Amino acid sequence: MLALFQKVLDWFKSLFWKEEMELTLVGLQYSGKTTFVNVIASGQFTEDMIPTVGFNMRKITKGNVTIKLWDIGGQPRFRTMWERYCRGVNAIIYMVDAANHDTIGAAKTELHNLLDKPQLQGIPVLVLGNKRDLSNALDEKQLIDELNLSTIQDREICCYSISLINNLTKKKILGESDEASIDLFLDKISNEYKDGWTEENWEETCAKGWSTG
Amino acid sequence: MMGKKDSKKDDESGGSNPFRHLEKAAVLQETRTFNETPINAKKCCLILTKILYMINQGEHLAPTEATQAFFAMTKLFQSKDVMLRRMLYLCIKEMANIANDVIIVTSSLTKDMTGKEDIYRGPAIRALCRITDNTMLQSIERYMKQAIVDKSPSVSSAALVSSLHLMKQGPEVVKRWVNEVSEAVNSDNVMVQYHALGLLYQIKKNDKLAITKLVSKFSKSSLRSPFAYCFLIRVAARQLEEEKDGFDKTLFDFVESCLRHKSEMVIYEAASAIVSLRCTTSKELVSAIGVLQLLCNSPKPSLRYAAVKTLNKISISHPAAVTACNIDLENLITDQNRSIATLAITTLLKTGNESGVDRLMKQIATFMSEISDEFKIVVVEAIQSLCSKFPRKHNVMMTFLASMLREDGGFEYKKAIVNTIIVIIEENPEAREIGLSHLCEFIEDCEFLPLATRILHLLGREGPRTTTPAKYIRYIYNRVILESAEVRAAAVSALAKFGASSDDLLPSILVLLNRSKLDEDDEVRDRATFFYDILSQNDKALSSAYILNTLNVSPVSLERALLQYNQHVTEKPFDIKVVPTIEVEIHKPSGETLLPSSTKPTEKPTASRQDLYMEQLSAIPEFAHLGPLFKSSSPVELTEPETEYNVKCIKHTFTNYIVFQFDCLNTLNDQLLEDVVVKLDTADGYEIISYKQCAKLPYNTLGIAYTLVKIPDDPSQVVATFGCNMKFKVKDCDPNTGEPDNEEGYEDEYGLENVEINVSDHVQKVLKPNFGASWEEVGDANELEDTYALSMPSLEEAIKNIIQFMGLQPCERSERAPEGKNSHVLLLAGIYRGGHDVLVRAKLAFNDGGVAMQLTIRSSDSIVPQVIAQAVG
Repeated sequence: MLALFQKVLDWFKSLFWKEEMELTLVGLQYSGKTTFVNVIASGQFTEDMIPTVGFNMRKITKGNVTIKLWDIGGQPRFRTMWERYCRGVNAIIYMVDAANHDTIGAAKTELHNLLDKPQLQGIPVLVLGNKRDLSNALDEKQLIDELNLSTIQDREICCYSISLINNLTKKKILGESDEASIDLFLDKISNEYKDGWTEENWEETCAKGWSTG
Repeated sequence: MMGKKDSKKDDESGGSNPFRHLEKAAVLQETRTFNETPINAKKCCLILTKILYMINQGEHLAPTEATQAFFAMTKLFQSKDVMLRRMLYLCIKEMANIANDVIIVTSSLTKDMTGKEDIYRGPAIRALCRITDNTMLQSIERYMKQAIVDKSPSVSSAALVSSLHLMKQGPEVVKRWVNEVSEAVNSDNVMVQYHALGLLYQIKKNDKLAITKLVSKFSKSSLRSPFAYCFLIRVAARQLEEEKDGFDKTLFDFVESCLRHKSEMVIYEAASAIVSLRCTTSKELVSAIGVLQLLCNSPKPSLRYAAVKTLNKISISHPAAVTACNIDLENLITDQNRSIATLAITTLLKTGNESGVDRLMKQIATFMSEISDEFKIVVVEAIQSLCSKFPRKHNVMMTFLASMLREDGGFEYKKAIVNTIIVIIEENPEAREIGLSHLCEFIEDCEFLPLATRILHLLGREGPRTTTPAKYIRYIYNRVILESAEVRAAAVSALAKFGASSDDLLPSILVLLNRSKLDEDDEVRDRATFFYDILSQNDKALSSAYILNTLNVSPVSLERALLQYNQHVTEKPFDIKVVPTIEVEIHKPSGETLLPSSTKPTEKPTASRQDLYMEQLSAIPEFAHLGPLFKSSSPVELTEPETEYNVKCIKHTFTNYIVFQFDCLNTLNDQLLEDVVVKLDTADGYEIISYKQCAKLPYNTLGIAYTLVKIPDDPSQVVATFGCNMKFKVKDCDPNTGEPDNEEGYEDEYGLENVEINVSDHVQKVLKPNFGASWEEVGDANELEDTYALSMPSLEEAIKNIIQFMGLQPCERSERAPEGKNSHVLLLAGIYRGGHDVLVRAKLAFNDGGVAMQLTIRSSDSIVPQVIAQAVG
């Protein structure tokens, strides 16, 4: 009886506390952006993907939070258009293929180019180093070095090492690390968001998400 | 610009149009709404409508602002609202060519075209194909192939029609979809079937054999769609038209069988195709005319209209056949639909006899004010053909045309009337004075500058030859006072012509020209000064060369020659003789297109044929030193049609050389020819300088070989015949790939027909508008006179042959012998190789069985008259 009452109460609460957040997902081609969207939206991992020509828009509902996710193609001809979709979003997710040492330089240049745009000032960035299941993949620390993340001072930024194959993620914020499933990761983000997550405590939120997971 | 637009908008009944006062900047500002969340679908729809309206009103969007609006629009893909999404597709299509980076929506559109919502799929395909450029075409290929064979007709049709548009940019990719398209032709849906057939035709268009197969295949398996049937008839008709000699009976039988189809549309299409075909015999015509006659009595106005329009079109080519429908056409004169009535009357006018003309003209006058310009033009055209048929009726026609000129009307309509009057004036000397006076009256109040200048030019040409030239001066000088600069310039030129032709008027003209020397416009002032100075010299030769007869060079070549001249520092003055003279355009009545909706007649190229040859030849280093190209002949076939190899020869004449261009076509698909060269047997005096071979001649690709010969130094030796032999190396090859089977080929040769060099190859046609003046200008210093007896059956035949042999341009319309007369004077003009003027006067007299000719030739060179005389001798 009490449980039922609790459920009804939750439902009412959800009506009033419905929140929406908007994320843009960018990064070089073949880094796994569309795969990431598929995994977090429907839990499906497909190895056989075709390059995104343009963008994909997905809405994902986690708890009371609806996440609008813009997944933009990573081929060179689309890179100039990234900025248009990053304006005014809650966070930018930057996907990197951590196992491909040849493209890491380009990934660095593109990331810094993007973040130099005055329009995108102060928007938090989440860098995801994908494909950590591969043996030669860079870990978080190496990624931070390779991408020269420490020079970015004007915004919240954090870096994770993830693998979509075994649905695992590993976080690294300058030394601290943990592992958790991606689903959980998003659950946490959205829950924190519901409870008054703001841009200022992004780092803290992420850290909390992993330590409790 | 803005003011014009505003006044236009205000004309629309006030308040009914909510978008009347749209401001571009405000609308673009509103597109920011697209970035808001959640999306307000209704509001966004309205904004998209405004953008569409603006673009369709011709508002120009700069690429940056369009791009910004476009990217804002892409945010709308998150909305699930059906109306909004479909509006979005429309906007994407409109913006596709204005905004940058439109391919950003590719992924979103491919998702929609493959999604579950059928209502999205067709429009998404159309939008996708609009934003796809050549480089992206491959990435959507897979989806397009699937969509073409989709079971939903709207999706399949959208994919087929979009592919048709894609053919323009990437025909190679679309051609790979031929299997899917063929499958779609078998669709049960009439629309899909029609679209698929249309695309299939486009894919195979260049392969004649494949098209023939296509027609015969589908004419047997009965198509469901009447549209597809109509299309097939058009394809078959075009195929029949293109076949020069071999007449494909099965194709014709197919078209003929469609006359008994159950759909009226197909019946009409078949009848229309048959009557328009050039190869149709009168027997075959009967059944088609019968069908049209039936349709004339149909209760449906559209069918009556189609039938009477077709009859109107063929009333000149097949008058007898159309006369059979006269009773039906008479009934249509009173048709409620004015368009049908107009066509019926004009058809009757074209086919009727002289006595009926007055009655029909009266009838037509009653509702002339009720029909649109387009049909008024039809009436004008009918009058034009009537006038050439019944020259004696020119009075009635002229009065009618003059009253039409006075009424309001658009440019095209007035142009048609003026054209008709000019044609009548040119054809019928009796009508000249009255026609000119009507035109004079017209230019007194004419808002169309091109017509005013054209009439002034005509007045300058024809006016001086009338009985009282002085009366036109007032009309012309009025233009100098009242009109805009371009008309004033034309009027000044016309005045000068009067001054050059008449000594009596000269002093007055000089006074008038002197006044124009102070004109505020440069062109007018320049012309006035130029003409004034020439006329004050009072030198007939000078006036003739610079006022009555003008330069006959093609502007494109002149430009090129001047450019070349300027590139080198030289003391020598520019020689106008190095510029090739322009070929005289043969004035033909505009040919009617064979298929009602077939491709538009090709735009007139800016460069003449000769300019193109010139460019082609000057690119070959061996021919660079030959100097300016004097003349290029029309192609001559050196092989029988349908032989293994097809060779055409074009003769390019230079001052001292002739280049033979051999266009070779290899029609054997299992052979590759290499090192193709056409060997000539040396002929009297001509020296063969070099051969330029065609390195490779694969199946069905045009290859060009050249042979250069030097013209003999003896100026009287010009005519020659060369034996021709094509030598080459044959390599057998795979018919499918064109790859040779082995590297070793064998030598072979192929006999061609002889090539002849005639007098006409050394002469370029030049039209002298005022032959008499030129005749005096050249003078009798190098005159040659002789008498000949020609065995020709008629004057016309003699005139035709003389023109052909000499290769000269008939002047003053002297190529048309008056009917029923036994004597005629033929005047010919041209330029001989090297830049010498040639004028020929041939007095012809016909008396039973033969034509006597007294030939007088004048030229600025002493040898040329003898050479020209050779042509007839």
